[in-house]
Amino acid sequence: MLVVHDWLTDYIGDAIPSAEALEKLLTFHSFEIEGIETVAGHEVIDVDVLPNRSSDCLCHRGIAREIATLLDAPLQNDPLTKEITLAETDVIAVDIEDAKACPRFSASLMTGIKVKDSPQWLQDRLRALGQRPINNIVDATNYVMYAIGQPLHAYDADKFPQVDGKWQFSVRYAKEGEVVSLIAEGGKDEDRDITLKGTELLIVDASSNTPIGLAGVKGGRFAGVDASTTKIIIEAAHFDASLTRTTARGLGIVIDASKRFENECSRGLPMFAQQEVITLITSIAGGACQGVIDEYLEKKENPEVVVRPSAVNGLLGLSLSTPEMISLLERTGTMVTQTEDVLVCTGPWERTDLSIEVDFTEEIGRIHGLDAIESVMPATVPLTEMNARHYYSEQVREVLIDLGFSEVITSSFCKKDTVQLRNALASDKGCLRSSLTTGMHDVLDKNAGFTDLLGSTDTRVFEIGTVFDKNDNMVIEHVSLAFGLRTKVSGYTPKDDAHLLQVVTALEEKLGTKLDVTVDKAVAECNFTNVFESLPAPVAYAPVAVAQEIAYAPFSVHPAMTRDIAMWVTEGTEVIEVEKVLNGAAGDLRVRTTHVDEFSKDGRTSLAFRLVFQSMDTTLTDDEVNPIMDGVYKAATEQDWETR
Amino acid sequence: MQKGHQHPLTQMISEINSIFSEIGFVFAEGPEAETEHYNFDQLNFPPDHPARDMQDTFFFRQKDTSEPMVLRTHTSPVQARYMESHEPPIRVIVPGKVFRNEATDATHEAQFHQLEGLYVDKGVHMGHLKGTIEHFFSKFFGSETEIRFRPSFFPFVEPGVEIDMMLKGSDSKLANKWIEVMGAGMVHPNVLRDAGVDPEVYSGFAFGMGIDRLAVMKYGINDVRDLYTGDLRFINQF
Repeated sequence: MLVVHDWLTDYIGDAIPSAEALEKLLTFHSFEIEGIETVAGHEVIDVDVLPNRSSDCLCHRGIAREIATLLDAPLQNDPLTKEITLAETDVIAVDIEDAKACPRFSASLMTGIKVKDSPQWLQDRLRALGQRPINNIVDATNYVMYAIGQPLHAYDADKFPQVDGKWQFSVRYAKEGEVVSLIAEGGKDEDRDITLKGTELLIVDASSNTPIGLAGVKGGRFAGVDASTTKIIIEAAHFDASLTRTTARGLGIVIDASKRFENECSRGLPMFAQQEVITLITSIAGGACQGVIDEYLEKKENPEVVVRPSAVNGLLGLSLSTPEMISLLERTGTMVTQTEDVLVCTGPWERTDLSIEVDFTEEIGRIHGLDAIESVMPATVPLTEMNARHYYSEQVREVLIDLGFSEVITSSFCKKDTVQLRNALASDKGCLRSSLTTGMHDVLDKNAGFTDLLGSTDTRVFEIGTVFDKNDNMVIEHVSLAFGLRTKVSGYTPKDDAHLLQVVTALEEKLGTKLDVTVDKAVAECNFTNVFESLPAPVAYAPVAVAQEIAYAPFSVHPAMTRDIAMWVTEGTEVIEVEKVLNGAAGDLRVRTTHVDEFSKDGRTSLAFRLVFQSMDTTLTDDEVNPIMDGVYKAATEQDWETR
Repeated sequence: MQKGHQHPLTQMISEINSIFSEIGFVFAEGPEAETEHYNFDQLNFPPDHPARDMQDTFFFRQKDTSEPMVLRTHTSPVQARYMESHEPPIRVIVPGKVFRNEATDATHEAQFHQLEGLYVDKGVHMGHLKGTIEHFFSKFFGSETEIRFRPSFFPFVEPGVEIDMMLKGSDSKLANKWIEVMGAGMVHPNVLRDAGVDPEVYSGFAFGMGIDRLAVMKYGINDVRDLYTGDLRFINQF
């Protein structure tokens, strides 16, 4: 919710704190602030209103009321406490099919208005909210929504048929297959014709049974206000939150009006909105109100809630006195009656989120300040259960890591398998894996070429992860263990299987049980849930060493190049000294040096090294690496090492 | 033989378990293929809550399941499952994989790991939440840690808070600044009641945080997707 700072002064008065001070106040007591910007000459605060407060705080008056609560100062000017002085009219008729879907519908008639551009101050405020001014009537309806949170819609009364002396609205469900034409959404040119399912609620011109808007979601072009308009009907209604959400989301339309209905703005608002908009239009477009009809079929009062001060302190970990709690609650506009040792609380009518004791507990805690809560460490108790899956997974890791295996976690999604998703993220992620083996082959193939770069002699990986299947009535899962290896960069060779079977034996010895593995091209997999469930319950976790500080460095995705160098050195020459010279000459593109061979003969030692080159930004070529190696050879020769 | 490397996420889960098991928190688990009942209903999500939208949740095909099932969107369903099968006092942590149907980028993956915590007993209050989280981060980052609450909202807690942490007196690059780390709150009475725990007798706190995000903080990982590619150029750094 974008909030124009100086707009708040309309309600709070000139003593309002700065935008920066409000940021701090709201952050620690109410809402996160996304940012503060200056737009169209106004400071605009982006307030991340929480879902439970979107009923009353998606408007300037709501945010101003919240600030007043936090400052413990009353609002200087509150549109929601003004007396409604609008006269009734009988020239508008309203027929509502379902009072639950539309508990309230009001419509007012104004005559003698003159449509023109809005005054600059109003245009500026709308622009500050990122809204495009249209004309004074449309702008006024939008303005009042941003002011007090009630969506409004204006019709040209001369284009709206008046039959039998009445403008006739009805609010009814759509018929299946019925079509409604909606005004183009922002950024789109053409109006949108929508064929309805029959679950949507429509606003209809009852005289001809023509749909004129999708209730709570979007208006049509019917009886639109233009430069020639002099007589208008203004609608302010209340529509069911859940119904609005279903319709809006179903059609992919989420606009400021639907957002307010979805969040259950109070059904007490429409007449206050009528009064605000009529006052505003009178001052910027002239004319006068001829009366209003207010069909209010289903009222909803906030409940009386019993709040126990002991329970409030018990949950917050505070020791506030009862008078302190009463004062905090009254600051929010809550009506509080103290009877014996409980408080009977009724939230202010414009808030629809205060219905049980903990709702009020939260109000007390956050307005008082959550920083008052002191840390208390719960008394340590012995562990009542051990997790066998974790315990035995740790044993497996110990064995496999000692045998040179690295652990991977791969995607649970795959292209084709038994268990299919209804809504896939991508066509190659439409299913869930039923085994780890396929993924393990992919990982081995992908990594087999990295052995020089990683300084390893072969590629060994394992994974412990969930795999999925289905039975007659549900998706089922178990934990699987898979491990595999590749000794050749070119891929699997049957010799790899023999290495793998030694690993199976080592695991079986550690766990003290046979593993029922399936082996596929040097990847072994077994149902690990079956394994740990058959093993004795663990009695204590192995201690976990505190992980050492690791400074992770992003790795290059470009291929590496390998060069070998061998030389004769005087016996006794330190390998590390030789590496230092080679590395110094090889420069920044060298990412690894591996000492690969050594033997001595006739007082001399032969040393061989493998140097790996890689760039963060590009794929290296011979033209780049060869001159570097020339330099490395030269450096070795200068040390009187005989390269060969 | 050169030793292999442990994945940073399982390494962190071991450390997390070690810290919490010392103070009596049980390592609990639940299914990744979860019923809508546990993923949403038991956690006080209204039937038409936006979180149930298709764009956030992976659903299984209706013809495969007799009741609606999803890939769990959080580890919180285990709260309800554990409370149904155990009497308070309850102390659990739930580290595990979760799924969101969201576009992926360097800070978002469709699968990631979450750490859930739950403590239900007589007289549990927000001070206990603060003390427990401070204890955890102080141990995990090896340096005195302060935390603070900011108001927030999650359907399954009330009051709900965001938690920021600050490492103190450390030379880590994370030190001396507030970092948003998790959502938490006091377990909503509807959640307790629906899981068979009397909210008039017991109260509890719950918290949830991304373990992947913890890896980003601790190791400076620049792309969370690297955690799930099986690329040893990544894994071998740990």
